[in-house]
Formats: sequence, C-alpha cells, structure tokens
Amino acid sequence: MASSILIKNEARLGLKLVAPAIGIIGLLVIYPIFFNVYLSFFDVQLNGSKTFIGLDNYSDLLANPRYYHSIGVSIIYLLGTVIGTTVLGLAAAVLMNQEFHFRNIARGLILLPYFAPVISVVFGWQFIFDPVNGIYNHVVVDVLHLTDTRENLIGNPDSALFVVILFDIWKHFPIAYLLLLAKLQSVPKDLYEAAAIDGQNAWGRFWHVTLPELKFVIATVVLLRIIWNLNRFEDVYLLAPNVETLPIFTYYQAFAGIVDQGGAAAISVIQLLVLVGLIWLYVRKVLKW
Amino acid sequence: MSSVILRNVNKSYGNLPIVKNLNLEVKDGEFVVLVGPSGCGKSTTLRMVAGLEDITQGDIQIGDRAINDLPPHKRNIAMVFQNYALYPHMSVRENIVFGLKKSGADAETIKTKLADVSEMLKLDEYLDRKPADLSGGQRQRVAMGRALARDADVYLFDEPLSNLDAKLRHHMRTEIARIQHQYNMTAIYVTHDQIEAMTLGDRVVVMRDGIVEQVGSPMEIYLQPANTFVATFIGSPAMNLFEAKVDGEELVFDKYRIPATSIANVDLNVLASHDTVLVGIRPDFFEDSALSLQRSPSDNLFAFDDIQVDLVENLGFDKEIMFTLGGENAKARLDLRSHVQRQETISLSVDLNRVLLFDTSTQGMLINAGEV
Ligand SMILES: Nc1ncnc2c1ncn2[C@@H]1O[C@H](COP(=O)(O)OP(=O)(O)OP(=O)(O)O)[C@@H](O)[C@H]1O
Ligand SMILES: [Mg+2]
Repeated sequence: MASSILIKNEARLGLKLVAPAIGIIGLLVIYPIFFNVYLSFFDVQLNGSKTFIGLDNYSDLLANPRYYHSIGVSIIYLLGTVIGTTVLGLAAAVLMNQEFHFRNIARGLILLPYFAPVISVVFGWQFIFDPVNGIYNHVVVDVLHLTDTRENLIGNPDSALFVVILFDIWKHFPIAYLLLLAKLQSVPKDLYEAAAIDGQNAWGRFWHVTLPELKFVIATVVLLRIIWNLNRFEDVYLLAPNVETLPIFTYYQAFAGIVDQGGAAAISVIQLLVLVGLIWLYVRKVLKW
Repeated sequence: MSSVILRNVNKSYGNLPIVKNLNLEVKDGEFVVLVGPSGCGKSTTLRMVAGLEDITQGDIQIGDRAINDLPPHKRNIAMVFQNYALYPHMSVRENIVFGLKKSGADAETIKTKLADVSEMLKLDEYLDRKPADLSGGQRQRVAMGRALARDADVYLFDEPLSNLDAKLRHHMRTEIARIQHQYNMTAIYVTHDQIEAMTLGDRVVVMRDGIVEQVGSPMEIYLQPANTFVATFIGSPAMNLFEAKVDGEELVFDKYRIPATSIANVDLNVLASHDTVLVGIRPDFFEDSALSLQRSPSDNLFAFDDIQVDLVENLGFDKEIMFTLGGENAKARLDLRSHVQRQETISLSVDLNRVLLFDTSTQGMLINAGEV
C-alpha cells in the first residue's frame, strides 16, 4: 500500500484519540498485572501477611499433576469452542444472507442466546441433562430407546466437558455470526456471478469467493474467541464446576480449600505469557498483519 | 463453439418490462454486436444468455441445448463484465487462468493460453499484481483476458473496451477481430462505440427500449436503416432529416425541389399516398460543389445552392460544416480539399442514390431495400 500524507495524518489523529484510553488501561490493566507478578513470588496468608519464597510457587505448580490436567482440559475446551462457534456462526451467516420470508425476524432470533443472562440459561441446560427428569435422557432412553441406562452427563467430568463446549458454542456463536454476516453483506454480488461464469457451482463459489473475502473476519473471530475462552470462567463454573479448565483450576487454587493466592498468581503469570506468545505468533504468522 | 438462439425472450422487473419479445439467432462462429442507447436492455440481454438473470418469458438455446433452466456454471460461457468483477484476492495471473483451470485444462494448455493472452493484452508485467493495484484500463484488460483464455461455447462482452485510451482501444479492437477470425468464436458484443460496431460485427443488432429495431450487416444498417431511430443512432455525426412536401414527382423543402424519380428504389405509388416525407441525408454524403471532382456516369447529383455556412469545425483531414436547411440545423462532413469558410455562401451536392426517405408518421423507411 502506498503511504501517503493522508494515511500519516490519520495515524496522528488516531494516536491523539487513543491517548486517554491508553492512560486508563494502563492504570486498570497494567497495575494488576504487575501486582500479580509480584504476588507470584510470595506465600500469601489469609490475613494478608506475605513471605517471599522466590520461585517456589512456580516449582510447586509445575510439579502438580492437576495443573497439567487442567491445561489438557483447556486445550480441548478451546479447540471445541473456537472451531464450533466459528463454523456454526459461518453457517448461520451464510444462511441468513439468503433471501427468504421473515428473514429480519430470523436474524434477530439467532442473537437470543447471546443476549440471555448466563445464570438463567445455565439452569435450562442443567434441566435438559438432568439424569431423572431431563429431556435428553427422556428422548434417548424412553423415546428413541438407544440405551436403557440414564446418564448423568453433567455429573461425569469427562462428558460434562462436552456439554460445556456445546453450551459455549450455542451461547457464543451469535457473535461470530454477527461479525461474519456484516462482512458477507458487503461482498460484491458480481464476484459470485464471475465465479459462476467461470464454472464454479455453489460450493466452488463459497470456497473461492466467500471464504477469501471473509478470511480476515474469520481470523479475527478466531482470535477473539481464543482470548475470551482462555479466560472463560462463569459459563463453565456455573454449568459444570467439575470441568477443571485453567481458570477454574486457578480459582480453586486461590479461593477454595487451601487458599493459595501466590500459587494462583503464578498460574496467571504463566497463562499471560503463553497467551501473549500465542497471539503474537498468530497475528504475525497467520494474519500477517 | 455453438449457435445461440433467443426466441420471444421477455424480461420484466416486477411489472416493468425491460426486454420485449426479443428474437435473435447468432449463428455458430458469428460475431454479433448489440448497440443501443444507455438503459435499453443490452446488459440484461447478455445476462439472460449467461444465466445471471432469469427469463420472464421465452426460450434461449445454446447449440441444441435449451438452457432456460441451466445454471450459469453449466452453460460453458465466457463473459467480460461491464464493471470487470475481478477476484480481488487473486493475482492477475490467477484471475486469468481461474476458469481455464476449472474447465480441466492441463498445465501445458494453461501455460500457453496465459502466455498468449498476456502478450496480446500487454499484461506481462502485471501478472503478479492484485487487481487493486491496477488502473481501470489494466483491470479491463485482465477481465478481457479472463474471458479470452477460456475455451467457451459462447463469448459475451459487455463494453469491454470502454475504459481504454484511443490507441489501446484500436489495438484491442484489431486483436479481437484477429482472434475472431482465427478461432471463429460465437460472440455477442455490447458496445457504444460506432467504430467497434461497424468493424467487429458480422451483424449488428440495434436496440431501443428493449425492442430490436433492426438486425443486419454493418453496411445494411448504415446504408439502409429500417427507420429514423436507426438512421440517426448509427453514424456520426447523425443523419440529417428534412421534412419535405410531396408535390407530384418532386419533394419540396425550403426552395429546393428534388426529383423523386432520381432517388434510388423509390416507389412513386407509395410516395403518392403521402403528403409529406422525411428526407434523410448523411453528413458524409454532402460534397462541396466548388470542387471539380472526378465523376462517374452513374452519379446522380443534386445541388443545394445558396447555403449559408454557420460554423466550420476543422478535425484534421475532415471538417464538419454546420448550416440551416429547410428550417433545420444540418451538418455536412467535407474534407481538406474544401476551403469553405464561416459565413460563406456555398453549394453542396449530394448523390441522390444515397438519399433515404422515411414515413413522417411511422418513421419507417420508405425505400425498397436494394443492393448494398
Ligand atoms: N434489478 C433491476 N430492477 C429494476 N430495473 C432494472 C434492474 N436492473 C436493470 N434495470 C433496468 O433495466 C434497464 C436495462 O438495463 P441494462 O443494464 O440492460 O441497460 P444497458 O442497455 O446495458 O445500458 P448501458 O449501456 O448503460 O449499460 C435499465 O432501464 C435499468 O434501469
Ligand atoms: Mg450495460
């Protein structure tokens, strides 16, 4: 791209506009991060007294098998939710970009899961999978007769992980859908016409026109979903507290049983470093920004 | 290659008819040019052939296939869009070979086609660029290349040269003519450019408001226009039309009396049933009577004397003269040899074999078509 006076002017204006925000973010974000790093070198007691213990928090953590287990759970959770929301959001966006009756209503309805307060929909989901009265077991056992044992899907941490993933996909695909639909509507119609003339059927046009046009939005959606879900707490904890993703593990470490704020701080520091590293790689290598 | 047949084709948007009962047969290997004023339905017609617009009524056939319900990707058509429609994420090279690849051409064919097309369209140095980094004319050439690289049954061109400078346009025009003769492609070509229409078309279709006004070879359209619309639309400057009274065997306007019997192919009985007619004279057919030109015996000259020249525009070899005749503003195109000046009074001659007569009320041609 040609750099021009116009672009330089715009950059200068941009700097002026973000300056106040940078100041506030500095106070609200940078300070806790430094405090966190500081805490991670101490043994913190409930009464607030701290003893410096060097890297002990880190070595304890790296020797804790529960830590590695929670990393594994987090990776599955991330893969499932990021891929799931992106694919479902893309499918919904493509569908909602077609002309049909009541399209505007349908476009609005799709957003409902995203608006709904998490606490109320969590109860709904727990009811669906309730081992005794739940719809899931009723359909699988009584209606379809696929099996005759009633499963407690949320009670078992292994299956609960998949329920939690499904829940997140259902709740958060609308944001992917929204971003993708906005871009989809601006794809010039004549590109599809040219591709059709060049012999591409509907699938080929999706592959050669839609996907390349959406590339950056898809990449942005994936990036946002990774950042959000690596830190996702309330959805998981409320629906199935037995699914120990990294944030849940950190919470148990810091506030439940043996309270260990220093250890929890160490987890966050490692997580922050990994996240920053991942995002840097992603932005440079995948997005090529 | 294949023929294209449009039978009673209609297109409406809602209740608004855009193309009305269009019939056209493009023969195998024929190059048909579609001309007409802006908004007359040329692009719509092309898009119906391509399958991008559905047909409200009628049939379209390519070769012996009825294609009304065939989606565009199964029609094996190549098209140059009026607004290019290049793939923005692909390089020029990828844009050009995209359709060719899809059609299953082998690597060797793709390579030679790409080389041919990019040399012909002077795109060699831009092959690795993205469309966003090209000028309008360069993009248009890429769009052209994308179509010409294909091995399609029918080629559709929607004003493919409209954004090129005069020199490049001339180059491309001759290139298209060359390819056309070499490969005998079946093509429908939309243009506003008279020269393109005259030079490229095996046949020219003149449209107005969704109706075909005339189909014919370029010379037929030029010399024997079916009505005053075609007569004035084709040819530049436009044909002069003078309203004349029919007085026995003479046509009278201003102080001039033209012997109708001298006009080629006039049917005096038809003439007798009209009070007035429109006399059509192309500016090109006037000559400066002051020049003693070599005449052939078949010449059949009529001289308009005492013409007051209002304006002279020198165009290099040609000059355009504006004057008033029969109360109408009229134009004549003379050339270098004439030394006419503004405000001079001169005499202009016209070969009566070239004069056309039209019905004042229907605007239709009144002369039996003769040899062109
Ligand atoms: N989607 C549409 N809805 C309603 N009218 C339309 C639509 N598309 C085209 N038209 C109308 O159809 C008519 C024919 O359009 P078309 O594009 O075929 O014209 P054209 O002959 O190609 O003109 P130009 O030389 O300016 O390209 C125009 O009057 C245009 O306004
Ligand atoms: Mg057009």
